[in-house]
Amino acid sequence: MDLSATIRGVRYRFESVKELLGRANPPKSGDDLAGVSARSAIERVAARAVLAGLTLADLRQHPVVPYQDDELTRVVEDSLDEQAYRAVAHLTVGQFREWLLEIGTTGATLRSVAPGLTPEMAAAVCKLMSNLDLMTVGAKCEVVVRANNTLGLPGRLSSRVQPNHPTDDVLGILASMREGLSYGCGDAVIGVNPATDSPASTAAILTAIDEVLRRHQVPTQHCVLSHVTVQLKALELGCPMDLMFQSLGGSEAANRAFGVSVKLLDEAWATMKERGTSRGPNVMYFETGQGSALSSAAHHGADQLTLEARCYGLARRYRPFLVNTVVGFIGPEYLEDGAQITRAGLEDHFMGKLLGLPMGCDACFTYHARMSQDELESLKVLLAAAGCTYLMSLPVGDDIMLNYQSTSFHDIPSLRRLLGKRPTPEFDAWCEARGITRGGEPGPRFGDIGVVT
Amino acid sequence: MSGTRALIAALRERLGAADPAPPRVPMPVVPAPPARVYVPRREPARGDAGGARHTTALLAIGHVGTRYATDVVLQFQAELAVAHEAVAAEVPDGWAADHGFLPLSSRVASHREFLLRPDLGRRLAPDSLQRLRDQAERSPDVQIILADGLSATACVDSGPALCAALAAACQQRGLSVGTPVCARFARVWLEDEIGHEVGAKVAVIVLGERPGLGTGDGLSAYLVHGPQIGKTDGDRNMMSNIHERGTPPPQAAERLAALAAAMIEQGTSGVGLDLARVAGEVERGYRPPQVRQRLVEP
Repeated sequence: MDLSATIRGVRYRFESVKELLGRANPPKSGDDLAGVSARSAIERVAARAVLAGLTLADLRQHPVVPYQDDELTRVVEDSLDEQAYRAVAHLTVGQFREWLLEIGTTGATLRSVAPGLTPEMAAAVCKLMSNLDLMTVGAKCEVVVRANNTLGLPGRLSSRVQPNHPTDDVLGILASMREGLSYGCGDAVIGVNPATDSPASTAAILTAIDEVLRRHQVPTQHCVLSHVTVQLKALELGCPMDLMFQSLGGSEAANRAFGVSVKLLDEAWATMKERGTSRGPNVMYFETGQGSALSSAAHHGADQLTLEARCYGLARRYRPFLVNTVVGFIGPEYLEDGAQITRAGLEDHFMGKLLGLPMGCDACFTYHARMSQDELESLKVLLAAAGCTYLMSLPVGDDIMLNYQSTSFHDIPSLRRLLGKRPTPEFDAWCEARGITRGGEPGPRFGDIGVVT
Repeated sequence: MSGTRALIAALRERLGAADPAPPRVPMPVVPAPPARVYVPRREPARGDAGGARHTTALLAIGHVGTRYATDVVLQFQAELAVAHEAVAAEVPDGWAADHGFLPLSSRVASHREFLLRPDLGRRLAPDSLQRLRDQAERSPDVQIILADGLSATACVDSGPALCAALAAACQQRGLSVGTPVCARFARVWLEDEIGHEVGAKVAVIVLGERPGLGTGDGLSAYLVHGPQIGKTDGDRNMMSNIHERGTPPPQAAERLAALAAAMIEQGTSGVGLDLARVAGEVERGYRPPQVRQRLVEP
């Protein structure tokens, strides 16, 4: 395969599809750290020109980690829908980009094709697209899932309430949750990152949240984001659990660093189908983020965007209710500033949706990244406009346990009003009945923590 | 009249006269809104069963439309500025020597490089390596390393006291302590090279932790047994949130010394360390509910 292009008389050659994918990526500090990024702006365009000429079939034949070395590659390859694949296999990446952007290519068509796409295809076309391209295609993808709520319908914007607490004080967690509900937040999930990763603490938090949600008949689902093995043990203690959570990496080795494997995830999913307390059928929740594979030296010389797409390739095996990219959490050595974090958020949303996942985004920054609050607020608007399924929500966006800045309880109703969006239908009806909203506008109990006792 | 002009004229007629904007309303009377002052609360807000006393989250702050009151915006911006200032701070030149530390530096040359190149922050600069070899005491039980990490503010303000308390707590347990060193632009794993060079049984690096909103005073400590390059996170034990609102430095020093002693006794650290055998000494104490400080004076 000849992987070369000429720009202004200079010939740029690339050794492999993997190298090409790295050089074609927009600037990311993590790709610089890994030594896989373009060495000049012109080389980046040359790589994109070569990439634009490869077919989707070429990409299937050259996964960034070989089939025999990696169970993620095997999961993707072995479960690929051949009929869907054949519909687009002949397109070059450049043609695929144009086909995605055509008005006639509808959300329904994209849903049919999704099971035939590999992560490498989604990553490749992503590199040829601008931010507005990513939003245009992301907005037309249709991914609808169900647990207690129906998530992802057109015209809806959902949110996770994230009532974290540095010592897992249950009353403190419930206080944040109740306030979040009073702003119409929490229709995606009430999801707590525990400070202590123990089965007893996971069970205690879930039991307390469950009691409040039942008493007030709140149509949503709960989750404590401890390690999957801890959640399995918590289930043995007999606690309620609507969704089961796990962080995913983009290679078998990256998942080993997270302490998970396909076998363990299969077991967790099977257990949840049997013992999960939501109506389902979608009962799993995954989080991802560009750069995590490199941070555990499990990147196999691939770029962080492609590895991120591979997380989605694994996630779709489990028909999750929620997937989100924690885009700015990892720090400036992987995504340096507002421009890189913004780009990555839109990329991840696009790739996840294209691969058929109910994609949300934790639009966020750590305090050592160069992103301003204004830039973060802009990213929230871009994501909501791009049809992002859900965002996070915290008191003033401040996570007092993980120490970073995300979306706030006030941001969600602001975005909904700005863009004409509503929560999930079930949750919308609950908000209207409780006076939190009236006709979609803030109602008499809006922001009143006493609405849920 | 041309066709285009006629078309435009007809459209304008349909849009309604010369001014397409809706008619003006009478000039409103604008009363000053009630004071919405952000006050750190010890008492429960209306409708709250007392839960807000159990968290430092900014709850019951009300809303203006769907947004924040001005006072809340200013509190938020002040807290953000405190965090950013702590990240941007650097340990002043000469500070380490003035405070009785052997000054060392990683291979990082600038603050930006520090944020972007964790690999360089994990290795000593050649002249620092030489200084360590020339001047540091060899083969201590415990090598204590103070470092800036992601908050030089925390390092400078609380580091010396914690390091002194930790050294005293180690010596009380009969452990020898090496020459105090302070490293600039340092990542956690720098303790591997420093600890190995001096031949310490255990290396402890105390460094400024990533600031949270309104805070930049937290320290974290990471301990490793048999320090050498190539140790991973699984080989370490750590303690975070060392500050007055979390684990106060004197308590932290006792627990860190207990961990170091246990590592030497068991000959291992990290996942291999049996924490049950030191449980009583390293468990978190009771932490009373916290209150956020109002930063903008009324």
